[in-house]
Amino acid sequence: MAISIQIETVTRAFGPVRAVDDVSLEIRAGEFFTLLGSSGCGKSTLLKLIGGFDAPTGGRIAFDGRDMAGIPANRRPVNTVFQSLGLFPHMTVAENVGYGLRLKGLRGAALSARIDSALEMVELGGFGPRDVNLLSGGQRQRVALARALVMEPGILLLDEPLTGLDERLRQQMRDEFGRLHKRTGATFILVTHNQDEALSLSDRMAVMHRGRLEQIDAPARFFEAPANAFVARFVGIDTLLTHQGVIREGDATHALIAGEKVPVRIGGPAEPAESVVALRPDRLLLHPHSEIELKNALALRLKVVETRYRGLHHDVTLAFADGQRVVVSLEADQPVPAPGDLVSVGLKPGGAMLISNAGLPAAA
Amino acid sequence: MNRSLLPALGLAALPLLAILALGFVPLMVVVVWSFWSWDPVTYWIRPDMSLAAYVAILDAGRWTVILSTLAKALVTALLCLLIGWPTAYAVHFLAGRRLSLVLLALMTIPFFTSYLIRSFSWRLVLGRTGVINTLLIEAGLIAKPLDWLLFSDFAVVIGLVASYLPFATFPLILSMRRVDPVTMQAARDLGAGFWTMLRTVLVPLTFPGLFAGFLFVFVMVAGSSTEVQMLGGAGASIVTVMINDVMRVANYPLAFAISTVVLVVIFGLVLAGNARFGLARLFGEGGA
Repeated sequence: MAISIQIETVTRAFGPVRAVDDVSLEIRAGEFFTLLGSSGCGKSTLLKLIGGFDAPTGGRIAFDGRDMAGIPANRRPVNTVFQSLGLFPHMTVAENVGYGLRLKGLRGAALSARIDSALEMVELGGFGPRDVNLLSGGQRQRVALARALVMEPGILLLDEPLTGLDERLRQQMRDEFGRLHKRTGATFILVTHNQDEALSLSDRMAVMHRGRLEQIDAPARFFEAPANAFVARFVGIDTLLTHQGVIREGDATHALIAGEKVPVRIGGPAEPAESVVALRPDRLLLHPHSEIELKNALALRLKVVETRYRGLHHDVTLAFADGQRVVVSLEADQPVPAPGDLVSVGLKPGGAMLISNAGLPAAA
Repeated sequence: MNRSLLPALGLAALPLLAILALGFVPLMVVVVWSFWSWDPVTYWIRPDMSLAAYVAILDAGRWTVILSTLAKALVTALLCLLIGWPTAYAVHFLAGRRLSLVLLALMTIPFFTSYLIRSFSWRLVLGRTGVINTLLIEAGLIAKPLDWLLFSDFAVVIGLVASYLPFATFPLILSMRRVDPVTMQAARDLGAGFWTMLRTVLVPLTFPGLFAGFLFVFVMVAGSSTEVQMLGGAGASIVTVMINDVMRVANYPLAFAISTVVLVVIFGLVLAGNARFGLARLFGEGGA
């Protein structure tokens, strides 16, 4: 039942602006795929192109290899949960959910059985006769889900479906998506700007920026090998340092940052021409006042700039000799170094990565 | 009644008084006087409690005028909706912001001239030597001018539609503005073609606008006179013209009885429509 999607060099231009710019992507049947990006990056436009609400100005979109050009939204095996839901306000919950099936000619007991089971699936059993206008936000969300899922689509598109819900409901619905994906087996495509959603739900995800896909990978790969500076920032690797050169010694590669030799791993297949060093905050270890660690080759010697108490930990801002900064967290019960102290920072394997500087603002 | 209502009552007192004094009282006078009696010899009116005026509506064949007025109002209102709905759709959903402003402005232009001039201009279009007949003859489609184009019910309805179309279009635009366009996308997404989407989603969601437009046009036509006088055939009449004729002989009870009948019909229409479509939804909450 699940359908695979082939997106080949698809472009959607609005005048001179390319909302989607030469995107190629293959989404496997039954996959939970997420398009992650900030607002205006073109992710919703790409979703509209898949759904058939808009046509690409170039390129080709195919479902299971069948070209979808010229096939309107109402004849695609796709259903959408829209950001603002678009529930029919003049219909009851059951009429909303049954809308698509009625158009397919289903009536009577068969229709109500399908509606009931769809409502059961989203835990809204017995809500059929209710007025959709009088439901809570989470309930409306579930109605929209049921309305799409009752069609048993090969592909389900979720357009920022959790925006506008409070945090608790958000987590609840997020888990719900995961559950429904397993249960229906359909291809799910989620569009979101929230990386938590993307990371916890996706089999694979793509980070989108200015109409282009910056990286397409399994969630963990975005941390192990971010494609470039933009992707690294987007997934929360905030420390990006410029270096003065790259030194190769056998298998090992070091980047020179303000006199420190930092062992780096090259993220991509080859060393990028214009690169920065990305430091993973979870692989940095602060040793306050530790003389022994200073001799360790994998340690950096940095000066404390400031410390900030964050409840469960301290944020310690450290500076290299040239002023570039890195924030390392320190357990709350550890002694806090004073500003001006020299400390050593241990670097666990893979803690520093040499990545392309693409997507970094020129001033930084 | 609690204390906080008092200032509100103070604020509302003046408009309430104005509505009562300027609207309700004259209407009551109309209804009450319609039961008085009129002496055709002396032209004198006597306070009375008779149905003479209502009987007079029936026996002089005046009820046919009332019926034909209501029929004209019905046909005109329906035609206005038929033309106004696609117009509103085009203005709201198809035109860009600038174009829709231009279209809205164009729709108000007819209001810049008087009803008289507007109705008269239709004579120039529909007359024996008017634009349409001339064109049709020159195109060789007809040999002699079509007589029924002017001074006919056809001409009257054309004139009425032209005059009152904006009264249907504007409420429809208003009601379309209240429709969440995502509902239309959702309908497409669930398999509805364009026409099915219109039938099942957009038209039902614009019911308040359809009813408001219908009502506005209906009421305006029921109170119109110019179009019938300028474009109607010999002996063509409409309630307003008939009332005018009756007033000339100072037969106020009859004039008021006719008014009362029309009033009751329109009032019934408002109540029925409001119960079914919820006119308030066009302006307030609860529609979306």
